[in-house]
Amino acid sequence: MAKYVGQRVKRTEDPRLITGLGHYVDDIKLPDTLYVAFLRSMYAHAKIKSIDVSEASHAPGVVAVYTGADIGSKVGPVPCAGALPGLKVPDYRVLATDHVVFAGQPVAAVVATDRYAARDAIDLIMVDYEELPAVVDVEQAAKGGPLVYEEYGDNIAYRLTSGEGDIEAALKASDKVIKQKIVHQRLIPIAMEPRGVLARYYPGEQELTIWSSTQIPHLLRTQLAIMLGVPENKVRVIAPEVGGGFGSKLNVYAEEALVGWISMQHGKPAKWIETRRENMQATIHGRGQIGYIEIGCKNDGTITGLRYNVFADMGAYLQLLTPAIPTLTGLMLSGCYKIAAIQMNVTAVFTNKMSTDAYRGAGRPEATQVIERAMDLVAAELGKDVVEVRRKNFPASTEFPFKTATGLFYDSGNYELALDKALGMADYKSMREAQKKARDQGRLVGIGVSTYVEICAIGPSQATPAGGWESATVRIEPTGKVTILTGASPHGQGQETSFAQLAADELGVDLNDVTVIHGDTSIVQYGIGTFGSRGTAVGGTAVFNAIQKLKEKATQLAAHLLGVEAAAVSFKEGRFSVEAAMAATVANSGGSKSEPRTSISIQEVALAAHVAHKIPPGFEPGLSATNFFEPSNFTFPFGTHIVQVEIDKETGEIQFQRYVAVDDCGKVLNPMLVDGQVHGGIVQSIGQALYEEAVYDEQGQLLTGTLMDYALPKATMIPWLELDRTETPSPVNPMGVKGIGEAGTIGATPAIVNAVVDALSPLGVRHLDMPMKPENIWRIINKVN
Amino acid sequence: MKIEGTQELRAARTRVYQALVDPEVLKRCIPGCESLERTGEASYSTTLRAGVGSIKGVFSGSVKLEDMRPPDHYRIVVDGKGQPGFLKGSGDLDLEDRDGGGTVVKYSGDIQVGGTIAGVGQRMLQGAARMMASQFFTAIEAEALAESNEPPPKHGFFRTTLRWLSGWFRRAFNG
Amino acid sequence: MIPAQFDYLAPKTLDEAIALLAQHADDAKILAGGHSLIPAMKLRLAMPQILIDIGRIQNLSYINEDGGQIRIGAMTTHYQLESSTTLKQICPLLPETAAQIGDVQVRNKGTIGGSLAHSDPAADWPAAIIALRAELVATSTKGDRVIKCDDFFVDLLTTALEPGEILREIRIALPSGRTGQAYMKVAQPASGFAVAGVAVTITRDQQGRCQSAGVGVTGVASKAYRAVGVENALIGGPLDAQSISKAASTVTDGIAINGDLYASEQYRHHLAQVYARRAIEAAAQRAQ
Repeated sequence: MAKYVGQRVKRTEDPRLITGLGHYVDDIKLPDTLYVAFLRSMYAHAKIKSIDVSEASHAPGVVAVYTGADIGSKVGPVPCAGALPGLKVPDYRVLATDHVVFAGQPVAAVVATDRYAARDAIDLIMVDYEELPAVVDVEQAAKGGPLVYEEYGDNIAYRLTSGEGDIEAALKASDKVIKQKIVHQRLIPIAMEPRGVLARYYPGEQELTIWSSTQIPHLLRTQLAIMLGVPENKVRVIAPEVGGGFGSKLNVYAEEALVGWISMQHGKPAKWIETRRENMQATIHGRGQIGYIEIGCKNDGTITGLRYNVFADMGAYLQLLTPAIPTLTGLMLSGCYKIAAIQMNVTAVFTNKMSTDAYRGAGRPEATQVIERAMDLVAAELGKDVVEVRRKNFPASTEFPFKTATGLFYDSGNYELALDKALGMADYKSMREAQKKARDQGRLVGIGVSTYVEICAIGPSQATPAGGWESATVRIEPTGKVTILTGASPHGQGQETSFAQLAADELGVDLNDVTVIHGDTSIVQYGIGTFGSRGTAVGGTAVFNAIQKLKEKATQLAAHLLGVEAAAVSFKEGRFSVEAAMAATVANSGGSKSEPRTSISIQEVALAAHVAHKIPPGFEPGLSATNFFEPSNFTFPFGTHIVQVEIDKETGEIQFQRYVAVDDCGKVLNPMLVDGQVHGGIVQSIGQALYEEAVYDEQGQLLTGTLMDYALPKATMIPWLELDRTETPSPVNPMGVKGIGEAGTIGATPAIVNAVVDALSPLGVRHLDMPMKPENIWRIINKVN
Repeated sequence: MKIEGTQELRAARTRVYQALVDPEVLKRCIPGCESLERTGEASYSTTLRAGVGSIKGVFSGSVKLEDMRPPDHYRIVVDGKGQPGFLKGSGDLDLEDRDGGGTVVKYSGDIQVGGTIAGVGQRMLQGAARMMASQFFTAIEAEALAESNEPPPKHGFFRTTLRWLSGWFRRAFNG
Repeated sequence: MIPAQFDYLAPKTLDEAIALLAQHADDAKILAGGHSLIPAMKLRLAMPQILIDIGRIQNLSYINEDGGQIRIGAMTTHYQLESSTTLKQICPLLPETAAQIGDVQVRNKGTIGGSLAHSDPAADWPAAIIALRAELVATSTKGDRVIKCDDFFVDLLTTALEPGEILREIRIALPSGRTGQAYMKVAQPASGFAVAGVAVTITRDQQGRCQSAGVGVTGVASKAYRAVGVENALIGGPLDAQSISKAASTVTDGIAINGDLYASEQYRHHLAQVYARRAIEAAAQRAQ
């Protein structure tokens, strides 16, 4: 058994983080730093008639005030990586010029000697706005309504139809077709650390260093180089400690470029740390779909076809991946079921709101919500058990790779195994019996099941806008310490630990002798970043591959040092040894005074590789190997979540009674890290199912603009989570790992909704939209309008 | 946000109406109104100072009276903006004689706020609007009751308005 | 989330604080636990020029029992009240209420005096203070002034405290006889504030009937209030399920109920009735 891999190794990141010794952007202090504050539009939609910065410019401590007019085309537009046919991409300037399209949009930037002076001066800028009607409702925007951009003539960003199979024929051939409207409400990601940027420009060297709380340092560097017109190799991006991202930092933001530009103007460091108010208004939001499901089935429960017509809320601008999110929904609509015909029709619309983009799950929670709600609708319509209907439509474990009507090949799966394990843990049969008894007593008890599959390890480069590979360099220093440079950019996931586990086992060194370096584009070779549950399956595989290359090289040198052919050397637990038979030959060869060695440690080999006094001809000194890993496919983790709830009939309040989850993410490097990811994902699902919603009023004002109004789940609101796993290796990578970062937010939400709907099903309830607030439930129970 | 209500005033309807359209009276009665300068037939520019003690929010904007049908009806439209955000509102006022003397004012309107006050004050809006309406009509009643040759009564409106606004703002943060 | 500039004063004695407050009048704000004022300042909705921090004054933080009265210093933190073994014995409503305020961090820093002086319409303390018929002692350069709790809560975030006055002590008559108490609330999931919160004290007579009742309600209207109708309906009654339910149904009579994004007027009205009933039932059950 491996010493580290597969073990619950404690996170090596944690001691510094929990003792406050980590360095986030705001912890990095540079002398002479200027501070930036942004004036943001208080209107969701307005013309800017004029901006008067004269008073602000002369305020104490103020160094400069910039408006959109000052920037002009000196800083390029905020990029969107979407490349869909017919996509309209609005010109997204870092500061608004004459038109603001969402409340919170940056209008002016104040640069001052401290952050208080910068903030004070914001109040002295006079903007004359002419308010315009805002369009907030997604369906109204699609129909017409006020236009976000007059020049487009409508609010449609793009339309897209995807899927395979003859959907019309499939629905026609069904015994039943069930229709349901479904709302995936807008969510605010709320990473614990808001965004932050520190930029330092050295005019002499013409080098710009940007510390940013980002998930994608290299992609950010490329984009900032383009936006700022600075050679890419003169830009260094560093992602120091990053306090969570959930996709919200998988982006390129106006503020990142602008703070860099300001540093270049003044030849001094410039810093901006996002406030929570800004974070809620002007960092990307997630979800935001209103869809219409049509699902066809036979009377025996066989699903025949699924159509999903969806209005996707883009917000006012397209951030990096905004238009791509609904396409991910389309890919995963088949869930873990055999469905011959699937069609998704997307109408993506502009609204006067902050952009949506990737938020943990990024399009897949919506797909899973659609198909898992649809399966329950089918079960209800046919009067069948929800488990039976699901099981009926599973592909068998022998049918993988499994082709879906959405155009994917699921790599591996054993859906029944995970389902049965979860049913066993929950004792589903007894649960249902107890539910029946409770119902007889007039209690509202519900059981919800979700069998999900998700797409991760993003992904093959063909399927991504900017490369789907990942890179790693592994080297052994002269002192024998192992350094891993990963192109992934972990920001809480714990890969400093799991990658070190991997290297420690593979190289036979102590865990503490391995250091994982990430997030600095001047130290680490180009990489893609951490998102889409790709860190371990793609980034980890690059590390694994680099280690294998490194071992080959080390074996060559070890063989040379031991005086044998490489084929005669074996490597185990950190030592290269001459095969036993060969060792005897070496020992008997005689002649030499000193006893010939039969083994050598990897640390000795590393030193020899660097000293290079005794290396074979053609051997490159040093001991380092790099791998750029291009995956051949995505991976498809899956699992079953089972939830039991009871509803207070008097008040509509929901109580969790059980939460059981079995997740299969392939091979596991560190079960504790996997549990942590599942915990966090489920908690965010509870947030979406019960509490969270970004509410805008009709004029585009964000009403849930603080954490006093926007309800994140707290520890006391979380039930005990009973977790287990099955382990179906992925054939896509040599370690057989899949990814677990988002599974919780994907599998859990529908299980919770299904449980609450099930609790209310005796009242004729078939569907509820999220968040399932007690008042809404109370109205249903008591038939209050 | 919709707001509606009924206020019973002890003063006679014609006097109430007069008070309700008199800019000098409005200046004293609109909560927080610091200045009211005539800009047209029945339109005024205004400065509303919101804040007491710790809170200083100044809104500048306009007040318009529309659809004036003495002594039955008119419509008031208020629009102001300042550092904490903006506030816009319009309300229809219908006056009827009250049985046994006095006036019944029925009002219904719509208030919109934006900026920080919208983002953090949502849960206080209804209470604040209610308090404001009540203060306004209490003041109007006092004005209408006052003899024309008497000096205008003091309402302490800076104080009360600032209080409601401060309450609304601080509402979100418990001690 | 960056406050405007202010001067910070930290008097060492109450007299010094009163003098400073008198001197700076409207420009100054008292800083107690800071859990209302500081966030408002960071949003620049409150911009006091001067903060007078009373946190360094000795002897404003205490829980004493004295002559049939419980005396609580205004700077006593929620956590101190929550964890007081004395109060758990003699007036369990206070620790029960404290335990439901905000979260651990808020309870560690927030103070009972700060909360009452702020008078948030959804704060928890006002309900308990009303149910217990507490008296509040304000002090100024003119000396002490005792304010009955029914006079203290004036309107939305408006108390009977005059400019220049500092709330320094809360006084509660020691509960006696067969008394039971309870505080129950629906917490808003984001803020933890009461969507509806009801504090109840019930004293039974020798026959077990309701001899006296105190019912304070928070979260429902623009200020916390005494549900007089409920109290009157309970007094002299048998405290059975039916009479309690009937009494609780009047909990919002004559009250203008507020609605918001989380709970409409209609739902709040309903919650107030349910939680009034539950709190009365719990208090009656404990009054043995």
